[in-house]
Amino acid sequence: MILRRLRRPLILIIVSFAVVTIGLTLVPGVDDQGNVWHMSIFQAFYVISYTATTIGFGEVPYPYSQAQRLWMTFSIYFTVIPWFYAVGKIITLLQDVSLRQTITAERLARNVRQLQEPFFILCSYGQSASLLANILDEKNMRVVVIEQNQDRLNELELADTKNTILSLCADAKLPENLIRAGIDHPYCSGVVTLTDNDEVNLAVAVSVKLMKPSLRVIARAERKDVAANMASFGTDHIINPYTLFGDQLAMRVHSLGTYILHQWLTGVPGDTLEPPENPPRGNWLVCGYGRFGKSVVENLQREHLTTTIIEAMPDLTQCKSCVVGSGTEANTLIEAGIHDACAIVAGTDNDINNLSIVMTAKELNPNLFLIVRKNNRNNSALFKRFGANITMQPTDIIAHECLAHMLTPLLAEFLTLARNQDNQWANTLISQLVDVVGETVPETFAITIDAENAVAVSEYIDSGMLVRLNNLMQDPANRERNLKLVPLLLVRNETSIIVPDQETVVINGDRILFCGTYDAKTTLPASINNSKSFNYIMNGLEVPDSTIWRFFKRVLAPH
Amino acid sequence: MNMEKVVFGFFIVLAMTLNFGFFLGEIDNAAHHHVYELYAAIIVSLIATVLKFGDRTQVGAILLSTSLAADLQLITAAILWAAFHESMESSSLMVYIVSLSGGALMANFVSVVLLISETISQRR
Repeated sequence: MILRRLRRPLILIIVSFAVVTIGLTLVPGVDDQGNVWHMSIFQAFYVISYTATTIGFGEVPYPYSQAQRLWMTFSIYFTVIPWFYAVGKIITLLQDVSLRQTITAERLARNVRQLQEPFFILCSYGQSASLLANILDEKNMRVVVIEQNQDRLNELELADTKNTILSLCADAKLPENLIRAGIDHPYCSGVVTLTDNDEVNLAVAVSVKLMKPSLRVIARAERKDVAANMASFGTDHIINPYTLFGDQLAMRVHSLGTYILHQWLTGVPGDTLEPPENPPRGNWLVCGYGRFGKSVVENLQREHLTTTIIEAMPDLTQCKSCVVGSGTEANTLIEAGIHDACAIVAGTDNDINNLSIVMTAKELNPNLFLIVRKNNRNNSALFKRFGANITMQPTDIIAHECLAHMLTPLLAEFLTLARNQDNQWANTLISQLVDVVGETVPETFAITIDAENAVAVSEYIDSGMLVRLNNLMQDPANRERNLKLVPLLLVRNETSIIVPDQETVVINGDRILFCGTYDAKTTLPASINNSKSFNYIMNGLEVPDSTIWRFFKRVLAPH
Repeated sequence: MNMEKVVFGFFIVLAMTLNFGFFLGEIDNAAHHHVYELYAAIIVSLIATVLKFGDRTQVGAILLSTSLAADLQLITAAILWAAFHESMESSSLMVYIVSLSGGALMANFVSVVLLISETISQRR
């Protein structure tokens, strides 16, 4: 298509060069002996070439006659202008935005096809998606980003990542772009769409589920009807940032241990988590009754906490009983009963207002437990300096929630089951985890016991021997030692056992979720897939590999 | 009548006829082969090549490749002429040039055959 547009300038050059070259051979000249001579076609072409391109070597081989100079004057104007026109046209074509987009899109599609490891597709590169991309990259997973805003992609290109994050500047709603990003690729593990536009997320979720139903899709949806629509197409997980926020807050109030467990298992491996504070029980003030505020109030009421709402525009937010005001001025807070309250949630969508609310509140009642919502990641410095008891950031929460569902489906299941356990249980598990893997965020991963993923174990079970869970956890280098692993979940025939006992007998088809150090994560596949290592683990015997050594061993063995 | 098609057909046929005109004559006789005819053949062949740019059909691709083959041989002939006409004997040089133009003629001929066959197959 670029060639078609080049037709006109190229033909113009050919014609103008042809006319003046032929003219130059016909015009008579005078050589150094005063004889009449004519240029050959090659000589004329040579002269025209350096004239038209404005190089201009001068009059070769002999000074020109008047007739030749006359023709040369004409040639200059007749060739130089088409030359510049053509060069300008070619450069414009090469800089053409649509052409360059096509070229980069095709280049991305080629790079994606060449990927030889599992990867995720992120259909935006906003605040939560960029955080998610960084964590996935940290966990050595490949990411392909589709984002329409070039500025955000520039940010991505400048970001310091372990692996190259492939990116495409295009509209994710268009199925062709999803195909370019690799949804048909055998290694594609899932699609995550976190744009702040519900329609886009819906379009992506629907088109992925229609084109490849087996692919995992995690989508963000703010409106209930959109979420229902997504669910009807089989979207694997739907994230509502507003309810998620309230939900997390409720989890903190209800059971801090479960919350820590949640944060821990979905964090970046190697990070340390600061011990969170336990929110008090009593009367809570909630500033801002938007979608966040509603979710917070709903969840707090479920925890049997009384709440007083402060809202600037009660009509707009359908707030029945509330104190009218923005919460940034002292009299509103006093009216809402700040002196008797135990905690305040500043949950408006304006960071500066939120900070102002908690600062005023702290002056009025220094014992308040302060919870502040941070909307924009760029304001981190301000929030860090202020140091509220809890700084809730929706983008972080979304990223962690996505991660829980992306790493392995078992992790999401474990976290759901963990919610139903009490705080005591969570604290016991945390102390157990800390004993084994230390204070830093561990790796979480799942294994499946079958002939494909755990050959050695599967063979052993098939031969009628008992394999217990703690056998899997023995170190193949020294069976007296254990790998630094904790089994979190065992799924067998649709039933799940949370934190299974280490004496549990493993059978074929079991899926087990482990949490452990990076070393343990890399060592485990070696022991469960290698018959020799696994044999050593089970019996403490080293079986020789070759027939000759087996023969010697048999002969030399004391009878 | 489509003016674009007229121009297209004209240049392709002209490229072949000029080429044929140059090729005609005794192969080693310089008097039978005029340099301006070769020049005209090259120019028309180049224009025909550019006109064939950007056609995405299979026939379009073959048409372009035949044209490129013709250009290659004609330009090689012109380079030989420019480089050796002072140093080489004209009859032996002419053999090279005319045989190259014969090769180009074949390519141009294929091009015209394709053009005609495509036209006939359209039945309109």
